[in-house]
Amino acid sequence: MLEVKGAARTFYAGTSDERRALAGIDLTLNEGDFCVVIGSNGAGKSSLLNAVAGKLKLDHGSILIDGVDVTRLPVHRRARFISRVFQDPMLGTAPTMTVAENMLLADLRGKTPRLVPGLTAERQAVYRDRLAILNLGLEDRLDAPVGLLSGGQRQSLSLIMAVSNSPRLLLLDEHTAALDPKTAATVMDATIRTIAEFGLTVLMVTHNMSHALECGNRLIMMDSGHFQLQVATPEKDTLTVPDLIERFHVKSDRMLLQA
Amino acid sequence: MPDVLASFINLIPVTIAQSLIVAFVVLGVMIPFRLLGFPDLTSEGAYPLGGCVTGVLIASGYDPVFAMAVAACAGFLAGSTTAFIHLRFGINTLLAGILVMTMLYSINLRIMGRTNIALFTFDSLFKDINPENFNDPWFKIAVVGTLIAVILAALYYLLVTERGTTIRAVGASPDMAEAQGVSIWSATIFGVGSASLFTALGGGIMVQSQGFADVNMGFGILINGLAALIIGEAITGRKTVLRQLLAPIAGALAYYQLVSLCLSLGLAPADLKLATGLFVLIMLALPALRRGGNVPQLREKIRE
Ligand SMILES: Nc1ncnc2c1ncn2[C@@H]1O[C@H](COP(=O)(O)OP(=O)(O)OP(=O)(O)O)[C@@H](O)[C@H]1O
Ligand SMILES: [Mg+2]
Repeated sequence: MLEVKGAARTFYAGTSDERRALAGIDLTLNEGDFCVVIGSNGAGKSSLLNAVAGKLKLDHGSILIDGVDVTRLPVHRRARFISRVFQDPMLGTAPTMTVAENMLLADLRGKTPRLVPGLTAERQAVYRDRLAILNLGLEDRLDAPVGLLSGGQRQSLSLIMAVSNSPRLLLLDEHTAALDPKTAATVMDATIRTIAEFGLTVLMVTHNMSHALECGNRLIMMDSGHFQLQVATPEKDTLTVPDLIERFHVKSDRMLLQA
Repeated sequence: MPDVLASFINLIPVTIAQSLIVAFVVLGVMIPFRLLGFPDLTSEGAYPLGGCVTGVLIASGYDPVFAMAVAACAGFLAGSTTAFIHLRFGINTLLAGILVMTMLYSINLRIMGRTNIALFTFDSLFKDINPENFNDPWFKIAVVGTLIAVILAALYYLLVTERGTTIRAVGASPDMAEAQGVSIWSATIFGVGSASLFTALGGGIMVQSQGFADVNMGFGILINGLAALIIGEAITGRKTVLRQLLAPIAGALAYYQLVSLCLSLGLAPADLKLATGLFVLIMLALPALRRGGNVPQLREKIRE
């Protein structure tokens, strides 16, 4: 479904500041794979997701989705295959537009917008139902500007937006990191439920080791632009947090703290 | 005192006619600023561009409507050039606008071949419709008012369509829009282009109303437009697309009456730009002076 071949990207090449974000990575995801990516800060996790989304240009390598080479497609042209939830709740939604308008935009993802009224009554009814799943009362606030919502509400909205329309590939970059523990758990719950419900193919970055072990059928650990470890179920199911920390020499304090 | 009042009241219709024409420019200022998050200065050049193109074509015997259509296209080209410079070279939107506006000054001079043309003796939109009474302010108000009402209605319809919603998304959050499959390039070029189209159209109507075209006619128009926009938003608010669209026209009407009142109260015309500039400055500074006030803000998150 997704094939990343020899993806490489170096920032500030040839200077003393040289940073290898991606050092020639190969990754293949099959239909329905839920792949979790972990690794210390600066390991290249976001770079990997950005490369897949089209936000980060590669020096070498190629990216294929359903066998189609998308390496040269800009972000908006890849949106018909890919949806994503950003780490920053502010990035994934348009603050001055209403909840319903944001839902509409997600609904139009990958379609050619037409010159017909966007927010029809039928659509609003559909959005109300979709939002009701969250249990946050957003279904009654369709006309509220998204900027008035809390970070957790916005992130939950981003998630619903990202999974509406059943994208071919869902990218989640630490999408619960900016939330308080309780909201983070709610959003993570909703994430796991919707992914299972729609059978989505997912690439998810997290610093939370227990999420990494509980979620998904594949696990990748990154370090300075490489894959340091790749496991899939059934082997993945036998891993424990101390395992990960000891066996693979993870020295990130943040991971230990969140474990 | 009654004298002052009488002269102000006498001027009301003329001032309304003038404000309705300038409302096109205010619309051209509002669209990039408010709907696209793209603070744009092209207006200062697109307004005289529209005036010069219309003036030259009418003076060469072309139909006024055709002349205005060409002027509108020229305006679109000017605005989309500004957008392109920003998008392609990553140059700050304000600087891109200044570049285009400066280059337009030479272009406008080239188009006219001199600094001004008198148009009194030629055809005009107003003479075409009503040859007897073309200079009557109420007649002008009817013509220009109808035109801007039609444009605003069409714009409102466009902005709430599927496509219009994606265009507004680019202004509200470029990252989000891009991730939802919206092309920032096409929305920005189309949006900023259209804004300058309206500005140029305003210039084209103005030269027919005042009877001459002048390369310097754009000087200060942007600040007038901003001042009008700020007042308009204080009147209509910005909560909905409709209110945001009505702000330019409400603002233009209020602003020019205010200016007319100040002038009849004895403000020297020479001090007008200083007064307008100070007014805009105060409105922009107010939020910083008293935090939490609900003064319309122009300084917002801006695209880099
Ligand atoms: N736009 C950029 N310009 C320069 N360097 C960059 C840029 N983006 C990423 N890098 C560098 O690339 C490397 C990988 O960054 P990346 O953001 O992918 O890390 P990460 O694994 O997501 O880290 P974190 O856990 O902190 O989010 C880092 O060394 C970073 O400094
Ligand atoms: Mg990251």
